Amino acid sequence: MKRSKTMEFGVGLFMLAGIIGLVFLGLRVSGLSLSAPTQTFQLQANFSNIGGLKPRARVTMAGVTVGRVESIDLDTDWYDARVVLSLDSELEGQLSQDSTAAILTAGLLGEQYIGLSVGGSPEMLEDGGVIRDTQSALVLEELIQQFVSNMAGS
Amino acid sequence: MTPAPFIEIDNLHFSRGDHDIFRGVNLRIPHGQVTAIMGPSGTGKTTLLKLIGGQLTPDRGRVLIDGQDVHRLSRKALFTLRKRMGMLFQSGALFSDLNVFENVAFPLRVHTDLPDAMIRDLVLMKLQAVGLRGARNLTPAELSGGMARRVALARAIALDPELVLYDEPFVGQDPISMGVLVQLIKRLNEALALTSVVVSHDIKETLSIADYLYLIADGQVVSEGTPDTFDNSEDPRVSQFVHGQPDGPVPFHYPAPGFYSDMLGQSHAKRTG
Amino acid sequence: MRSLLTQASRRITRFGRKGCETVEALGRAGTFLAQAGIGVPSSEGFSLWLRQMHFVGVLSLAIVLVSGLFIGMVLALQGYTILVDFGAEQALGQMVALSLLRELAPVVAALLFAGRAGSALTAEIGLMKATEQLTSMEMIGVDPLKRVVAPRLWAGFVALPILTVGFSVVGIYGGYLVGVEWLGVFEGSYWSNMQASVSFIVDVGNGMIKSLVFALVVTWIAVFQGYDLVPTSEGISRATTRTVVYSSLAVLGLDFVLTAVMFGGL
Repeated sequence: MKRSKTMEFGVGLFMLAGIIGLVFLGLRVSGLSLSAPTQTFQLQANFSNIGGLKPRARVTMAGVTVGRVESIDLDTDWYDARVVLSLDSELEGQLSQDSTAAILTAGLLGEQYIGLSVGGSPEMLEDGGVIRDTQSALVLEELIQQFVSNMAGS
Repeated sequence: MTPAPFIEIDNLHFSRGDHDIFRGVNLRIPHGQVTAIMGPSGTGKTTLLKLIGGQLTPDRGRVLIDGQDVHRLSRKALFTLRKRMGMLFQSGALFSDLNVFENVAFPLRVHTDLPDAMIRDLVLMKLQAVGLRGARNLTPAELSGGMARRVALARAIALDPELVLYDEPFVGQDPISMGVLVQLIKRLNEALALTSVVVSHDIKETLSIADYLYLIADGQVVSEGTPDTFDNSEDPRVSQFVHGQPDGPVPFHYPAPGFYSDMLGQSHAKRTG
Repeated sequence: MRSLLTQASRRITRFGRKGCETVEALGRAGTFLAQAGIGVPSSEGFSLWLRQMHFVGVLSLAIVLVSGLFIGMVLALQGYTILVDFGAEQALGQMVALSLLRELAPVVAALLFAGRAGSALTAEIGLMKATEQLTSMEMIGVDPLKRVVAPRLWAGFVALPILTVGFSVVGIYGGYLVGVEWLGVFEGSYWSNMQASVSFIVDVGNGMIKSLVFALVVTWIAVFQGYDLVPTSEGISRATTRTVVYSSLAVLGLDFVLTAVMFGGL
């Protein structure tokens, strides 16, 4: 059977459009980047309560995304949450030992993320280091409880 | 000496649902002749062709083509056997997405590795044989009924089969194309040494081309013979059919309860009660 | 009393027969799929497949893309009015993208596909059956499952996921048009919120898996209904209706099951 050239061309375009669409979904919509995965280093931070923090959540510094939450698990020595962060390797050796990590919420109902802020110590955190100074997530019920007990006390 | 039968049908039984279509049909179809199978509409003549072609499986009995039991063959062997058969369908059954040329070329393209130029020559030869070489670029939708059937005939003989099955080739044709088809079937049978099986209820045309005839009614072969014996048969079932009498052994009425009781609604009441 | 009993037993018999017929049809459909799906690809088969791709894919593109655009626009409009109450209209991109990728694109594209291409496949194959084209193909010694059904099955299987991707892309763009250009959501937050929350593997990937499953089911139902129908004009119209009804129900039902497995934490 003779194939019609226009039909072949149409199907070719159709399939090409499908591939381009998939690339668009990958790059533009899911934010994959074509460049090789950026070099990262890892820090650990323990929180007494992580609230609704999820793996893959953003890690920011002054509002700029500098990494992601790699994993969250329970530290059975202290019974608190051990959160491993992957950060841009540019920051390796740039964060002081007394940097703080806080679990913050984007807007009233938004997702939770980690905000880092730098301290003043001359000693720097290297790969595998631990952030000591952490601030847990705000849990609404606890806040209300505190508020009520304060009211009762005064 | 009679030639060895090419198709042999033994004690064939076939039913559809509760309705028995064949109850022990025996046929011998010899090599190189035109054999006609006749009978009133609704006696399952098309079904018989489908049984011969292996598209339906009988409840009992067997069909031998050239010594091979059609319904015992593997799917592959059956398809190989079918390459030796051509079938002309009542509607023509041309592939509506291909033009006339490609329709005739279809069996050649799928079953042979012939180069394009040779396929072209063969197709044009077949189309010339049915007188439609000029219509090669038309689509099936542009053909009249008679032309479609001639193209289908060209397709059926494209692979030079040994056996051609004709399903009601004359139905719904005007006298001219009917004459053309009669001529064609006769000429092809002689020229290509085919074995032809014609299923039809058009008496005059069938008698004029057949070497031997079978009459089927009520699921059985009721009569057989050459056209001459058929024409002068004393058998009331044969003469009713050949001479087209409305009532006789083949009843005018479809089986029904008595007219009187049906009208009074008694049998109806009995059935649902 | 007795007549009541006989009537009841007749009902039960009819019910049982219906059950047997259903199981039988499912069995036929299964062997049908197996026979048609396993074909040796040849250059001839490729050319037939190409033809069907044009028919079920390229020709369905317009309706799928236009629907995608409108659905994306409506999503943005509805989402905005809800989100703005919470002061979360920056999350519009995230909402539009996630609802499209996970749910709406696979499902709506499959439903449109069933209506546009599925019914046409059923009618086409049914008409080929009614005009004895399938029978004559068999008599020529060509298996219509391989020649007629297989290319259509594979074309549907490939075309629908592509259409789904197109639906998503156009829908997200439609959301952008309404959300950013018209309602004034900040463009940066539309895209960045989307990128922050959409995962290629989880969201795009699972949407694609859904779409592949739907493609198989819809095309399977369509070609089987065409192949199995009663070859009369009434039979064709009934089979066409059945194609649309069965494949819509199958898509929606399977969507629930797949969503439960993929996102329901099962």
